[in-house]
Amino acid sequence: MPGTLSPGRLLFRTGVVATLLVLVMLACSLVGPQTISLKSVASVSTSAAAPNPDYEIFFRIRVPRIILAALVGAALAGAGVVFQALLRNPLADPYILGISSGAGLGVIVAILSGLTWTLWGRSPIALFAFLGALGTVWLVWGIGRSAGKYHVTGLLLAGVVVNAFLSALIMFLTSVAQSQHLYATIFWLMGNMTEEDFLVLWVGGGGIVAGLVGLFFLGPQLNIISVGSQDARSVGVPVERIELAAFALAAFITAVAVSLSGLIGFVGLIIPHAVRIVFGPDHRQLLPLSSLLGAMFLVVADTIARTIVAPAQLPVGVITAIMGGPFFLILLIRYSRKVYWLA
Amino acid sequence: MTSAIQAQHVTFGYRHDRPVLRDVSFEVRAGTFLAIAGPNGAGKSTLLNLLAGLLKPQSGRVLLAGVDLCSCPVQITARKVAVVRQEFVPAFGFSVLETVLMARTLYFGRLGFESKTDRELALRALELTDTTAFASRTLGSLSAGERQRVFIARGLAQDTPILLLDEPTSFLDLKHQVKIYDLLKSIQIEKGTTLVAITHDLNLAAQYCEETLLLYTPDRRPAESPSYRIGRTADILIPEEIERAFDVRVFSAMVGSDRLLIPRGTRPRGSEPCGRTP
Amino acid sequence: MGRWWLLLTALTLWLAGGYALLGKRGHSTFSSEHGEKVECPLFPARIVSMAPDLTEALFALGLDDRIVGVTLDSDYPPAAVPKPKVGTFWQPNIEAVIATRPDLVVTLTFAQQKDLARRLQRIGYECLSVEIESVEGLFHAITAIGAAAGVEGRAQELSENIEAAIHRLQTATAGRPRTKVLWVVQREPLRVAGRETFINEMIELAGGENAIGPTLHKYPPIGAEQVIAAGPEVIIEPTMIPGNLDAQHRQAVSYWRKYTNVPAVASGRIYVIDGDLVSRLGPRLCAGLEEIARCLRPQPPGE
Repeated sequence: MPGTLSPGRLLFRTGVVATLLVLVMLACSLVGPQTISLKSVASVSTSAAAPNPDYEIFFRIRVPRIILAALVGAALAGAGVVFQALLRNPLADPYILGISSGAGLGVIVAILSGLTWTLWGRSPIALFAFLGALGTVWLVWGIGRSAGKYHVTGLLLAGVVVNAFLSALIMFLTSVAQSQHLYATIFWLMGNMTEEDFLVLWVGGGGIVAGLVGLFFLGPQLNIISVGSQDARSVGVPVERIELAAFALAAFITAVAVSLSGLIGFVGLIIPHAVRIVFGPDHRQLLPLSSLLGAMFLVVADTIARTIVAPAQLPVGVITAIMGGPFFLILLIRYSRKVYWLA
Repeated sequence: MTSAIQAQHVTFGYRHDRPVLRDVSFEVRAGTFLAIAGPNGAGKSTLLNLLAGLLKPQSGRVLLAGVDLCSCPVQITARKVAVVRQEFVPAFGFSVLETVLMARTLYFGRLGFESKTDRELALRALELTDTTAFASRTLGSLSAGERQRVFIARGLAQDTPILLLDEPTSFLDLKHQVKIYDLLKSIQIEKGTTLVAITHDLNLAAQYCEETLLLYTPDRRPAESPSYRIGRTADILIPEEIERAFDVRVFSAMVGSDRLLIPRGTRPRGSEPCGRTP
Repeated sequence: MGRWWLLLTALTLWLAGGYALLGKRGHSTFSSEHGEKVECPLFPARIVSMAPDLTEALFALGLDDRIVGVTLDSDYPPAAVPKPKVGTFWQPNIEAVIATRPDLVVTLTFAQQKDLARRLQRIGYECLSVEIESVEGLFHAITAIGAAAGVEGRAQELSENIEAAIHRLQTATAGRPRTKVLWVVQREPLRVAGRETFINEMIELAGGENAIGPTLHKYPPIGAEQVIAAGPEVIIEPTMIPGNLDAQHRQAVSYWRKYTNVPAVASGRIYVIDGDLVSRLGPRLCAGLEEIARCLRPQPPGE
């Protein structure tokens, strides 16, 4: 009898990928500009007299950074899956509805206004990026909704328009900025994975994990919504409510990810595709597996970014684009040839 | 017999100044097979969407088993009515079995997985529509007719007392046209399902549907006369009515106890009818 | 019902975890800007410098045997070159810094360096951030570093030496009319040093005047019009490319040839000088000032 997803199969696949993720994270924390040995990390002296640099590097620099990369990768890939389902478009990514330019505007406003206060020791830039992202998404949602029946098209158009407008605003502000502000803005927007305080990771991670779990429970509804909204309605799914919930959760986790690490492209676009090609479009599986693979992808990309030209660091976005660009091109070519099993 | 569907003075138009349906009132008793016929643009699909609760009437109301559709949330409506629409290829490549199982979304467990009953209903629906062989293929790899049967299977899997169908046999070959109507008839008899089908095939409607609702296009009728006629198929699908509604001459003959309707075109001078035996 | 309890439990655990982490913040340490008095609890035996001018300052204070890490671009004095490297001042390598097991890390105050200091402090390392944006800032920095490293006496001495040298230069150039200088940081597109920079301060100390008036940016891009309107008598181009200053000078002359209306071009007073000497505000300040003064010295007629 033909197979569909069963809880057992999903659990098994998720378990395998999750284990793989943990192994990759461990392996990557041993790689870096300084060579450290696992033995000296493990043999940390309990007395504070002799500081152990390997331990410090491992636990204070590398591990937080890798956890951050995993969280951001999971959030972006998961949000990508949801946006592709809601917009019924395999070419959607989390930034398509203005989140990126909203965050960018928040960042540049924060930097230019020269804020010196800190939020528990953190600069307010992240908070402004988060608010900018969410505010823009709310605006786009409002505009798109008013298009009524054709609200998917309305959403996309609203996203394009808002993106264009905000980008123009950002360009204007950039042109009058001082050079050190400029550098700070660009550095922030290119995607940066500086290791963070465990508290920040806990808060941000909590938000992202909660959002992803919530989205998982919307899996079957997302399945039928991704087929058609009329179909979903006739089958008993309250389409407007589910769309709003899914959209809000996906936008939220994207905003958290962007405020933690700047703009990192391609993860939200290609990971869902790759998983869909291998495992099929069932969202109950697509969501958890994409999140885990997104985490793995970004951990690896970040490790490459910080070791390939050590001691300098490439922005992570460069690596994800180099890895993702050709893959995306291949996908486009295959889609245009209408290979059935890929449809 | 209880009434399954009731339309009470329903008026609807996509633009407020131009109603497509004006003051439509009728009742479909439970367990009946109703055919909706009429020329293009008469509002057949619109009426179907109104009956399914996907559109809201401008005035009047639609009742399902005595309950106003407008006051029902989608979850309740979906347990009473299933809709089979025109086939299309979705953006993502779900398999046939996955697509048919989606009809059971309402009944999935807490984690969102189907139960044994759901699976059985889905497989039985595939069997009935002769699509079991395609179960693991994606919709994009099927022909239009095969896809249409999958959509019908999805409607069946929803297991509702009322089934609405929008031109279910338009892409199907001769064999499957008859098989689908046989299937619908057997469901009607065995499970007492109320069926409403929009169809262009008047002969099939004449054979299988007890009642027919004939819709006129808005410009074909004088303002005072009604915009539709409903009654027993034998009374409605007669040449005079068809000519009035469709603006075409119809030739009718009896084959046994079945009435046969053949539309008559005006052939250009000098052409011979092709099917004539020498 | 069960679902809500599960949710509540998860939320409580999450908040508890957050609260626990709130207490575990890295102990903050001292940092000094603008020359506040600093309290140094420990005598730092291992010092890391995160910028070339800081390296020069540390060496000038006689701390060479206590320096355990410098940036890649710290090439002066020559004794700094064999020291272990900790990235560049533009892109510091935090792992390398930690690997040197520093007692004190000295950084500047612009974005990346401040960020680095913050991260190191959070882990528990002592950091000193000094702002060297002006000559006065340099004196404050020397004092602060001296206090932090426990060499107040030598810091005082160094400051006095530099101050004396500046004074000597000013008396030498006193009474002369101020020469108008155009300080070209980049040729294409044309970018000059404005009035809000420390370069401007150096020009004025050397007896010159910035040909450009007040601008919005510190290093504004300008057009040909503004060059002609400014009418500089001297054009100075600091170069970051070491070696072969003659070839670069010829290049500069041929570039400026088209500005026939500009007095500096007409009199051939275009100078290409060693960028390192004038872009690092450090102990070699006076050498830089002298280099600038040399360019500004009035030419005898007929040259």
